[in-house]
Amino acid sequence: MGGHYLFRRLIQAFLTIIAIVILNFFLFRMMPGSPERILLRNPHLTQATVDAARERWGLDQPVPVQLVKYIVATAQGDLGYSFQYRGQPVSEVIGLRFWPTIILVGVAEIIAIVLGLALGAYSGWRRGGRVDKVGNGASLILYSMPYFVIGMPLIIIFAAELGWFPTSGMLTPGATYTSFIDQLLDFGRHLVLPLATVSLGLIGGYSILMRSSIIETRTEDYVTTARAKGLDENRIVRQHAFPNALLPTVTIVAINLGYVVAGVLTAEIIFNWPGLGTLTYQALSVRDFPVLQGVFLILSVCVVLANLGADLLYGVLDPRVRT
Amino acid sequence: MRSPLRARSTRILASVGLVGALLMPAAAPAAAADPVVLRVGLQQTLDSVNPYGTALVSGYEVFGLTYDFLVDYGPNNEPAPGVAESWERAADGNSYTFHIRKGTTWSDGKPLTAADVCFSYQINLDAIKDGKNVGLGYIDPSVASAGVTKVECPDDQTMIMTTSDPSLRPLQLGVPILPKHIWGTKTYKEIGEAAFDAPQVGSGPYQLVEWKTGEYVRLVRNKGYWGKQGAEDEVIIQFFGSADTLVQALKAGEIDYARSPNAQQFNQLKTEPNIVTVAGEANGWTEFGFNTYGTGTGKTIPKGGPSTKALQDPAFRDAVGYAIDKDLMLQKIHLGYGVVGTTPVPPVLTDWHTDPNDIRKFDLTVADQKLTAAGYVKDGSGNRLDKQGKVISLKLVFPQDDDTYAKAAEFIAGWFKEIGIKVTPTAMESGALVSAMLPPEAGGTADYDLFIWGWSGSPDPSVLLEIFTCSAIGGSSDSLWCDQHYDDLYAKQNTEGGAERKATLDELQQYWYDQAPYHILYYDANLAAYRTDKFANWQNQPKTGTPLFATGTLNYTLLTLASDASASPSASAGASAGAGASGAPATPAPSADGGSSSTGSSNTLLIVGVLAVVIVVVGGLVLARRRSSAKDDDE
Repeated sequence: MGGHYLFRRLIQAFLTIIAIVILNFFLFRMMPGSPERILLRNPHLTQATVDAARERWGLDQPVPVQLVKYIVATAQGDLGYSFQYRGQPVSEVIGLRFWPTIILVGVAEIIAIVLGLALGAYSGWRRGGRVDKVGNGASLILYSMPYFVIGMPLIIIFAAELGWFPTSGMLTPGATYTSFIDQLLDFGRHLVLPLATVSLGLIGGYSILMRSSIIETRTEDYVTTARAKGLDENRIVRQHAFPNALLPTVTIVAINLGYVVAGVLTAEIIFNWPGLGTLTYQALSVRDFPVLQGVFLILSVCVVLANLGADLLYGVLDPRVRT
Repeated sequence: MRSPLRARSTRILASVGLVGALLMPAAAPAAAADPVVLRVGLQQTLDSVNPYGTALVSGYEVFGLTYDFLVDYGPNNEPAPGVAESWERAADGNSYTFHIRKGTTWSDGKPLTAADVCFSYQINLDAIKDGKNVGLGYIDPSVASAGVTKVECPDDQTMIMTTSDPSLRPLQLGVPILPKHIWGTKTYKEIGEAAFDAPQVGSGPYQLVEWKTGEYVRLVRNKGYWGKQGAEDEVIIQFFGSADTLVQALKAGEIDYARSPNAQQFNQLKTEPNIVTVAGEANGWTEFGFNTYGTGTGKTIPKGGPSTKALQDPAFRDAVGYAIDKDLMLQKIHLGYGVVGTTPVPPVLTDWHTDPNDIRKFDLTVADQKLTAAGYVKDGSGNRLDKQGKVISLKLVFPQDDDTYAKAAEFIAGWFKEIGIKVTPTAMESGALVSAMLPPEAGGTADYDLFIWGWSGSPDPSVLLEIFTCSAIGGSSDSLWCDQHYDDLYAKQNTEGGAERKATLDELQQYWYDQAPYHILYYDANLAAYRTDKFANWQNQPKTGTPLFATGTLNYTLLTLASDASASPSASAGASAGAGASGAPATPAPSADGGSSSTGSSNTLLIVGVLAVVIVVVGGLVLARRRSSAKDDDE
């Protein structure tokens, strides 16, 4: 049965991605404003040059033809050429930006999941306690704060005033490194503030989620039973309440994983982190269709995969689902 | 009672601490052999390193450093020796003979001769002949508009340029001199679309060796440069997504120069130690314009165009000009940085700008009287009516990416309400706004009445003045104004030189001001801030401008080290870079050898390293958890 379940989920994910590919194509073309007008806002341009640009970018062809070409190319893994970066391949433009985002989001997620769930579980179990009062309050505040509001004070305090960390970027531009460790340390220093910003932003949400989930399980029969059996509190939490409370949390966290990649956009912008967020922002403002299509494809695949992962993980955690 | 929950969190904290230790600020490696780097930040990215493929200030700065011009820009933007050491103008004014510097080489060591210069101009002439542009078409139009018809290079040191009229503009065309031995086999079309991958070969003071898309560009000293050598061995131009971060980076000393902080940030920076702020005059303006579509042509747009014919009436546009308090707007919105606007020739072009007669002074009563006198009366409820008896209600559009536009729109809407004119401000994403403003000539419906936006120009006023010509409708024209008299004056000044041109430009500016297709709100200030603890001898180009992102790249070659300030006795002399013989380098050029590949490009290795660290940490946590569970189960 497990194999069938997996197969069905995979087919669903695949179909979703195809639908997204097509949707992406129309989504950006429905936006007002055309790339050649924005990129070429030039007092002296001859019509011949505008036409040539449209031709080069394939915008002179009828929309159905463009769509077919786009689908065929995408299927072959060819994402086309960036308008904005004057002909650089999209895969190259995105490739450079993919890992920085994945590392930032990945590490931030791990920190946020561990700390957020721990804080949530603890404060939920000792509801009304000191940790709960402070932790839940802080969580609510962090949860409702956009990344730039968290990030800017960090930059001002730790970068500009104290000078502990650099304000922005991923590596010191133009630096020469004597060893790999040197480079890693430079990267680490650049990563601290954006990482702190994104983690802080995420911890709040996860903690709130886990807290309410734990509170629900507290009144469940099996917890009462466990307590009646005389098990100590910590064991009840860890072996009975926590695993059950984890179920809804896992779904949300997994789905969230996909969105976070897109969500760190503002954090990336203020820290000048060379990731997908800043790339999307730049591409959007000049209607760089191929780059936008490429980025959205990757983001959608992330969300779909995260969902798939959640489904599968849920199946592992809760055998009832695997039917 | 032992608490595993707490125990585990201690372990987690320990792991985090481990990571923290790894990330502790490491002392910046500063070996003696490290190159001296000038770091420049701006809130813009870079679109292309092809001189013909960039539309951005950042791109101009990069190619201006890498490539030379035939004639350079001096400290006050006057023509100064570039690749041409000197030049003469023929008696009839219709041709120039340029003498190309002897012994100049490209950064790859090959000699630079007149053949390179002729090749670089010829690609522009080829495109003009075909009615096309080279690349994005920012450079060839200046060659066309200067009336250049032919270039010849009879020998390695001579270039003869023939022009169709006696204007002085052939001296400042901004055509980058490209190496023929690299690009000579390519057509203008191929060059316009080429990537120009780094490392580039040029003859300018600094050569592009690395471009990290969206992050920075790195240029290294061209040791063979014919002009003065700046103290910096490398120039790194960094692109910032947020102006706040840009300012913090300057404060932290990570960058030496910040372009365009906003007025509030600028004021805060004023009090910072080791930071100097400059409010330079900008070659551009912010305008409040009218959609005058139909003026001079009588054309209408079926489902679009201006909502009332009043906008086509100069008397109406003149009258409402008295309802705009430009002084107050400049004070409130830009904290006083900038100059109140009048004509489309910015005052920074001192040779050409003229203040018009009868400048409108803010007075709502005058505005009201003038409107009534021009036939725009109010109805019973105080609404202003156009001559067709319709209530005037205007749609004011502006781009949303700059909040100063929104503030300006609010001010204007408030004053116009006082004179019975309803204005609806509408912010639009700038890409969408470009399309919304297109007239039928460019496939749009021009569905707007008023707009606030800005333009910036070049050292020659024609670039900005062309926006108001009839032929710009469907192109750069946003007021969609078409006036034969203006066109005649524009064409006339385009072929004139010196005093004659000035007289025509005076007349043109007065006529334009009276006709008022725009009210120019202000000539914005070019705000900049730089640090003085690393580099000294910062100079403005022109005197009223800013040190960097000016017309040329002269100032990069004038910087000295702050640590040996005594080495630069004449900070204000504005020594022209090439007054003849190539001046002895002020600073001996140390190690940087134009090498490109040695620096942090091994990102793959880095990524693997980071993933390894993550895996170790995660693995450690999992193990920790396992062990503690196992222990618990043993209990």
